[in-house]
This record gives sequence, C-alpha cells and structure tokens, in this order.
Amino acid sequence: MRQLPSALLLILAVLASGAQAAGLGGLLRGVLDGVQPQSQAQPADAGVGNLVQALAGGQTSAEEEADIGRRIAGNLLGAAPLVADEGLQRYVNRVGRWVAGGSERPELVWRFGVIDSEDINAFAAPGGYVFVTKGLYKKLRNEAELAAVLGHEIGHVLRRHHLKLMQQSQMVSAVGGLLGQRLRDKNQIVQNLIGNGAEIVARSLDKDAEYEADRMGMVLAARAGYDGYALPAVLQEIGHVPAQDSRMALLYKTHPHPEDRLTRLGEAVASTELPDGRLVENRLYRLK
Amino acid sequence: MRQALRWIVLAAGLCAAPAWAAPGVMLKDEPLRATASATAAELAKTAKGEAVDILARQGGWSQVRVQGKTGWVRLLSVRGGAAAQTDVAGELQGVLSLGATRRDPNKVVAVAGVRGLSEEELKQARFDERALRQMESLGATAQEAARFAAEAGLSRRDVAYLPAPQGQAAGDTSWGGAQ
Repeated sequence: MRQLPSALLLILAVLASGAQAAGLGGLLRGVLDGVQPQSQAQPADAGVGNLVQALAGGQTSAEEEADIGRRIAGNLLGAAPLVADEGLQRYVNRVGRWVAGGSERPELVWRFGVIDSEDINAFAAPGGYVFVTKGLYKKLRNEAELAAVLGHEIGHVLRRHHLKLMQQSQMVSAVGGLLGQRLRDKNQIVQNLIGNGAEIVARSLDKDAEYEADRMGMVLAARAGYDGYALPAVLQEIGHVPAQDSRMALLYKTHPHPEDRLTRLGEAVASTELPDGRLVENRLYRLK
Repeated sequence: MRQALRWIVLAAGLCAAPAWAAPGVMLKDEPLRATASATAAELAKTAKGEAVDILARQGGWSQVRVQGKTGWVRLLSVRGGAAAQTDVAGELQGVLSLGATRRDPNKVVAVAGVRGLSEEELKQARFDERALRQMESLGATAQEAARFAAEAGLSRRDVAYLPAPQGQAAGDTSWGGAQ
C-alpha cells in the first residue's frame, strides 16, 4: 500500500466495498474488450476481463489461480533454475505433497522445487507452487524441518496471500490499461497483473500473513506426523545468520525478524500441546 | 570400570556444557523435564522471567540449566537473552546474539561466490516454460506421497489450526479481508 501514489489510494478507498469492486471489474472488462486480440481469438482471451474482475472481487477460480501461479513459477525459474538433481526434487515433492494432503485444499496440483540459489529463502505462488532455495535447504537438519518450511509456504497458498497482494495492487495495472496499454492475451495480462518477471515474490506480504503462515506451517507438519516444533527450530537456526550476510537480504526485507516470529509463535502455541511427532533425520536427502 | 566410565561421561558433560551455554530467559511458567519429552519426569518448576543457561537444542526442545538442575523445556518457552548466544549449529565461529542479527541495511556484504536472488534479478526474470514443465513433471501423486510417508512411520493426526494470539486477531482479519 505504501508504494501506491496517493491518487491511487483514493481510488482504492472509494472502491473498497465488494459491490463497487465488481463494478470496477466490469469497467475493466469493457476496456479490455476494446483491445483486439493479436492473432487468432483463443477461448482463453474471453476470460481475460473475467480474470481482472475475479481478482478485484476476490473470487478467483481455481483455474485462474493456477494460471497466475504458473506464470509466477515460470518466471521465478527463469531467475533461478531447479537444482539439477532429480532425486532431490522427487524427494521434496513427496514430502510436500504429503504435508499439503493434510490441508483443506488437498486437490490442488501441488508442485515443489529446490531452486539453485544460495539465498536463504522460500517462495510460494498461487495454485500450489512452492520453492525452497538451495541455501535454505542446506540449513535443514531433518525431514520435519523441510515439512515445516514447506508447510509455511503451503499456508500462503491456502490463504491466497499473494492473490490478495495482487488484489490490492492490481489497480496500478488497471490504470495502466486505461492509459492504453495493449493487452493481447491471457499470458500477457497475467504478467501485467503480477508486475515484472517474478518481482511479486520479492514483495512483502503483510506481517500478519507471515505469522499466520508460521502457525499453519507448524500445524500442517504436525498433522503429517512430524514434530511441529521443527518450524521454530528452523527459525532459530536462520536467526543466527548475521544480518550482513547477503544470502539473508531478501528474506529480511520481506519477513519479520526470526526472533519476532518465534515470539509470536510462542504466544500462539501458548498452552496448546501439539502431539509429539517424528523428526525423520536419517531420510533427509543430502545434496550432492 | 563402570564407575570410571561414569566419571568420564560426567567429566565430558561438564567440559562440553560451558562451550554451548548461553544466557536465556523463560517466557512462561513451565516444568523442567528430565528428557526432551512432554511426558518426561518433572525436575523443577521454572517461572516466567527466570534466567536460565541454554545448553543445547533437540527438535522442539531446549536443554537448560536452572536452579542448579539440568533439564529440558519447550524451545518456544525460552528465549536467548540480550547477551551473547552461541550459534548452536556451530557453523559460525564465535558468539553472536540473535538480536544482533537484526538487519542493518547499511551493512550488507556479499558473501564471495554466492549467487543471490536480488530484487533486480527477480524483476528481470524471463518466463522459462521448459523449466516449469520439468518441475511439473517431477510432482508426486497423493498415493505416492502417502506411501513414502508410511515408510518413515508417519501417519496423519487431527490438529486444529492455531488461532492468532490475543490482541493480534484484529490485524489478521483487517488484512485478510475479502476472500
């Protein structure tokens, strides 16, 4: 919100109610209908205006969510490819799919990947795409910690945190459209909605969204039979990496400090007794 | 012989402990347990605000010394104090405080040879269809995942999501609005 010009803030405020947001979607659809598809009219193009409308109204369909997630995931992979180790990728998918299976959206097409970056971070994109960097993976000491990190990202997907971020900022794109930007196809409008490349994953979610994902990560790991306290263990671990370390730059920019996250988790867990779970230390896939 | 062994173990313990010890403080009243388990015998009662020495960590538990006794408390129930805290992983030499890792944006130094994921790189990123298809082809089915979990003795449990702590719920809802 902070980065929006004040005029946009005003528009946002005026359009805050659901009914009015739908009205805006209709307006946008009108604008978009006026834009000629470049070549053959694909069925997908008809959905372009609907996508904007759906986002504005917070009513994105599972298919639209997947389209958006696919674009973000493909862009992120353009910045950092998967680690070339099929055994590792299959391992992470098995663990992640099991954890996601205990969530309220087990039917999503969940995909997990370890990307080739020494940065210490993890990312989620709508529709079920989850990434862990090699830098963070190397800090994990057991499978429960992996499950917890994936669980945190799964939490972002479940609560559609990135879609909400887009919902808040898409007015920028809308104004871009009004200024005559030509939006030719679905991919292009999805790209237009998510900004440049994969920058959306470098944007901060609300702090409460991060605390919420932490609480969900603990619970999702525990539901899958793991030690739910693996998440605090990871937070404690990464909290020891000095702030000056460039591998932590993006994580620190976009997340509350690990110490604050631990404090919030401690308050949230309070008297709740999570069931004892497994760490599964011997099976953690070691990087070659 | 057995006696000698016991002394060696004890001596090793005494030698090892100071190397790990770091000051901490209890965040809530909690029993000190004999082992890292919620069902372990209770050695003492610790109180919120009580100073402890943090000796080690194991899963969701911290080994602490308090009131002259050594035992275990929940990781989330104890926090490293403002004073120095040893890096438990031992990966970083020396002593550093968790609090001291708070970010100072003026002091970022690149680690030699490390490829980061800067905002600029992310902005410039181009959609990689091939890599995405590869990622999608490596996914696991629910059945495959369940089988793999069972191999490690993992089974599902019912655990409710944790509510936001009191006082923060308002923040959660005001942000999460229209979904």
